[in-house]
Amino acid sequence: MKATWTLPDGSTKTADVAEGVSLMEAAVANNIPDIEGACGGCLSCATCHVFVGEAWLGKVGEVEVFEDAMLDSTDVERTDASRLSCQIKMSAALDGITVTVPSV
Amino acid sequence: MTVWMPDDDGHADLSSHDSFSQGAPHNTFARLRRDDPVFWTEYAQGTGFWSITRHEDIVALNKQSILLSSAHGIRIEDQSPEEVIARRTFQETDGAEHMGTRIKVAKAFSKPVIAGFEAQIRELCIEILDDALPKGTFDATKLIARELPMRMLGRILGTPEEDLPWLVKKGDALIANTDPDFTDHVLDKMTTDEFRLMPFNSPAGAELYAYAKDLMARKNAAGDTNGILHLIMQPGPDGSVISDAEFRNFFCLLVAAGNDTTRYSIAAGLQAMCHQPELLNQMKSGEVWDTMADEVIRWATPALYFRRTATADLELHGKTIKAGDKVVYWFASGNRDEEAFDAPMRVNLARTPNKHLSFGQGGPHVCLGMWLARLEVRVLFEELSKRITGIEAAGPHKFLRSNFVGGIKSLPVTVHMS
Repeated sequence: MKATWTLPDGSTKTADVAEGVSLMEAAVANNIPDIEGACGGCLSCATCHVFVGEAWLGKVGEVEVFEDAMLDSTDVERTDASRLSCQIKMSAALDGITVTVPSV
Repeated sequence: MTVWMPDDDGHADLSSHDSFSQGAPHNTFARLRRDDPVFWTEYAQGTGFWSITRHEDIVALNKQSILLSSAHGIRIEDQSPEEVIARRTFQETDGAEHMGTRIKVAKAFSKPVIAGFEAQIRELCIEILDDALPKGTFDATKLIARELPMRMLGRILGTPEEDLPWLVKKGDALIANTDPDFTDHVLDKMTTDEFRLMPFNSPAGAELYAYAKDLMARKNAAGDTNGILHLIMQPGPDGSVISDAEFRNFFCLLVAAGNDTTRYSIAAGLQAMCHQPELLNQMKSGEVWDTMADEVIRWATPALYFRRTATADLELHGKTIKAGDKVVYWFASGNRDEEAFDAPMRVNLARTPNKHLSFGQGGPHVCLGMWLARLEVRVLFEELSKRITGIEAAGPHKFLRSNFVGGIKSLPVTVHMS
């Protein structure tokens, strides 16, 4: 399964992501810039913020209460497409997902 | 090429604060990473503990915060359940309880909010350097590294400037509670039972408790809601409110942990400049400001370890860690792991990526103040490197006597000005 990140410089990077692996973990493993994942996916930081591509927004699940609170702490202000990518786990339904790394 | 040669014999007792009084025993950590990465240490003052020394193992365990709990204490020293409850901060909680506290202050410490402090930090740096540098030869920990985080602490807490030296002295007594230069109640040298329900078993904890209470009363009376303290008193989105004891412990945590760690990062950076003179030119090139703070903080590793407690049996590298066992993540070792860093015993301000563990990255307790620490470190060295043409050691430096806080407590330097 694949995911594609649009980077702050406008370029894109596509990587294979195994089932159940979060987009944060995949980004860190592929050295996607500006996705730090400092807390390892525990919702203690907001360093894996992405904007989810419009076509995928309905498929990535709901924002839980702690994620919602942490989205108030992102470096770039949140939008309706904002998610912490540690909370998006790869699945067949998300194969091909596109996300944008916020540009500071 | 300059490399750093640690001088321990490779068999240091990790439970002994004295083993760290010349800096972390890096030869011992290197041997353990190679030969015995899950290492049991008997501990004269309590039950023994497992040392985890490889970067990849620390990362793998740190994210398993249910299996390896923070709720039974985060230092090697044993605590009774009663002590844990009385002294705990959100550092000593797990899961939703931890998050409930954390989200109340997360925004105040978030990258964009902290970035708003840059101009103030720069102003403080300029003041501090204008005072220190003309002296030529001086203790750089005392006159530079100690000053910046102390003065920023006042801005963050909303405390009067004149209270800061007292606050920092008490914070030092807490966190450096194993070093006789900082406390009259050295933890492992005398009985501190009288203070066992206070943060860090220290009478300074009692004084800080009283100060926090008084400060809030004064601020409330004056209608002053500046600073971080009011945020933590607000109910969270789940409706939970912090208890009095938790508030006071949080205050102590900010004063102690938030202060010393940045101080010792700056001190380690200054000492590295003395040891590797090319670092100043790297700074002057202007090309390392995005990466240098993390490298300095990797190099410093002010929090040498944090401890967890296993909640179930687990196997790792052929050892069985039993439920209830103490497990120590040695960030100081992970940050020098040859498998994770090229030339780890050398400071490379351009290092990237830099997956260091100084902030406890990879777990729920990742340092709340990391953006502030990074910003203070970067701005301090930006301003310093503009003002000097050289810096060298003016005598031997001294480390804290502590296996918990890695810090250069005195650092005589001579600076050369342009």
